[in-house]
Amino acid sequence: MNNDAQMNDENFRLLRDFVYEKSGIFFGDTKKYQLENRLSMRLRANNLDGFDKYYYLLKYDPGARKELSALFDSVTTKETSFFRSPQQIQAFKEKALPEILSQRIKDGKKTLQIWSAGCSTGEEPYTLAIIIRELLAKEISEWDIRIFATDLSKKALRSAKNAQYNEYSLRSVPPDIKKKYFSNTGGQYQVTDEIRTMVELQYLNLNDPRRVELMKETDIIFCRNVLIYFDDPAKIRFVSQLYDDLNPEGYLFIGHSESLHNISKAFKLVHFPGALAYKKE
Amino acid sequence: MRSKMGIDILERIKDIDDLATLPSIGVEVMEKAESPDVSIREISEIIHRDPALSARVLKIAHSPIYRRASQHIDTIQKAIMVLGLNEIVNLAATISVLDSFSKRQSPHEEGIRTAFWNHCMATAIIARRLCLTIGMRLQGRDFTGGLLHDIGKLILYEHFHDQFVQAYNISMENNCPMYESELHIMGTTHMEVGQYLAKRWNLPSFLQDIIRFHHDPDRAEHTDLVSLISISNLLAKAKQFACGGDHISIILADQPAWRLMREHGYPMEDLDMERITFEMDDLGAQIKEYISSLSDHQTGEPVQ
Repeated sequence: MNNDAQMNDENFRLLRDFVYEKSGIFFGDTKKYQLENRLSMRLRANNLDGFDKYYYLLKYDPGARKELSALFDSVTTKETSFFRSPQQIQAFKEKALPEILSQRIKDGKKTLQIWSAGCSTGEEPYTLAIIIRELLAKEISEWDIRIFATDLSKKALRSAKNAQYNEYSLRSVPPDIKKKYFSNTGGQYQVTDEIRTMVELQYLNLNDPRRVELMKETDIIFCRNVLIYFDDPAKIRFVSQLYDDLNPEGYLFIGHSESLHNISKAFKLVHFPGALAYKKE
Repeated sequence: MRSKMGIDILERIKDIDDLATLPSIGVEVMEKAESPDVSIREISEIIHRDPALSARVLKIAHSPIYRRASQHIDTIQKAIMVLGLNEIVNLAATISVLDSFSKRQSPHEEGIRTAFWNHCMATAIIARRLCLTIGMRLQGRDFTGGLLHDIGKLILYEHFHDQFVQAYNISMENNCPMYESELHIMGTTHMEVGQYLAKRWNLPSFLQDIIRFHHDPDRAEHTDLVSLISISNLLAKAKQFACGGDHISIILADQPAWRLMREHGYPMEDLDMERITFEMDDLGAQIKEYISSLSDHQTGEPVQ
C-alpha cells in the first residue's frame, strides 16, 4: 500500500522547504518527481502511507533526528561520475580556472592548488586534472600544480587510487578526452598515469578543524554534496575554515543545488552561466 | 562623441513613417491610466476597440503567470476586476507595442528572434519574482518593463537588419555585450534607439527610463524600478537566456543596481539569491507557456 503514496503539491512544498532549511539542498519545482522518488523509500522504511505523515514525523516525532540523517542519505546522490554537473564543470573550465591562471601569470608565480574535499572514488579530482592539463597543454611543465583529493572513506580512497572505472562513470566524458586520458582494459577504463600522478589522495576528516586548517593557500575548492552531513554550527565553522583556506580571489564550488545562505556571508555569490559559486575577495 | 553613422541611424529612424503612429491603443491605455479619474469602464472601452487585442488580453489572463483565481474571465471588465487595473493596462500596452513589430518579419535569423523573445520574457518573469520577494509595489510595471526593456534591439532588428545581425555575430564571437558591438558597427546602441522611439511614441516615463538606462541605473529617474530590471536582465543572462554573446559571470552584490537598491533600503542582504536562482530552473517552461498564451496559433510567435 505504501507504494501508492502520492506526493501532492502541498506535501512537496512542505518537504522541499524542510529539506532546504535543514540541508541547504534545494529541489526546484521540476524536481518534484525526484524528491518523491527518494522519499518514498523513507516512507516504506518507516511504514507510513502518506507524505503528510512523514513530514509530521520529521517535524514532531522524538525520533526525528535519527530519521533526518536517513533522509539526508536518501536525498544526496551517492553516485558520482566524470564531468558531473556539466555547468559547474564548465564554469570551472571557462571562468574560474582561466581567471586564477591569468592572475598567477600576472603575479609571476605559476602555482595552482585545487582541493577536492569529499572526493569519493576520484571521478571529480581526475576530471579537474584533465581540464587543467587540457587548458595548459604544453605549458603545464612550467607550473607547480597540486590537486589534493580527500575523503573520509578509506574504501573510496582505495578505489580512487586504483583509478579504474566502468563505462557508466564515463558517460559524460567527451570522446576525444576519453581516448586521450583513459585506456580501455577489458571493459574497464583506467585513468592514464599523466592524470593520476597529478592528484594527491589523502584521508581527511572534514570535521577535524586542525586538519582542515592545513589546506591553506588553495585556489579552488570543490566541496559538493558534503555540507549536508554537518549540523548548522558545524557547517558555519567548516565553511569559515574553507574561506580561510582559500587564497584571495579563490573559488568555492558546492553542490549544484546547495546553498550557503544563512551559513556564510563572507563569500560573494557568483552567477556563472547556469551555475553558482562562491568567491573570496 | 557619437560617430557619423550613429547620427545617420537616428536620422533614418526619424524618416521611418510607420513608426510614427503605432501603437496607438497601447499608448492611449497607458495615458488614460495615468489620469487621476480613470475608470474601469473607460479602459475596457479603449481595449475593446481592438477585438484582437481584447481576445489576447483575455487569453493571457488565463495563463499560469497571471492566473489568480479559478474563475473564468470572459470580459475585459472582469479581467480588470480580477487582475487589477494596472495589470491589464500593462498587458494591453505590452501586447500592442509588441504587435507593431511583427508585421515586417524577416524570415531569416529566426534564432536571434527566438533568443530575443526568450530573453525579454525571462527578464520579465524574473523581475516579477524579485519584485514580489523584495516587496516592491510596482503595479505590474516590473513585468512590462522586463518585456520591453530591449525594444531598441527589435527596432534595429527590423529596420537595420544586416547591421544588427552583424553586431549580434560579433557579440557572440567576442563574448562582449551587445551595446559594445552595436556601437562598433552602428555607432549607436539599442538603448539610444529604443529611447528615441519610446519618446516618439509617448510611452510612459518609467518605460523610457528602463529602455534608456537598464545598463546604467545610476542615471535613471525611476531608480528602483530601473535597478530591478537591470538585475533581472543580468539574472536572465546567468540563467542562459541572453540575446547576445555576453556569456558572463556576475557578482550581483557588486552591481550598481544592487548597490542602489541597498542604499534605498531594500533588504538585499537578506535575499536568498541561491534559492531564487534555483527556483528559476524551470524558466524555460514558464517562457514557453507565456509565449504560447500570447500567440494565436501554437507557432511560438508571440504576436501575429
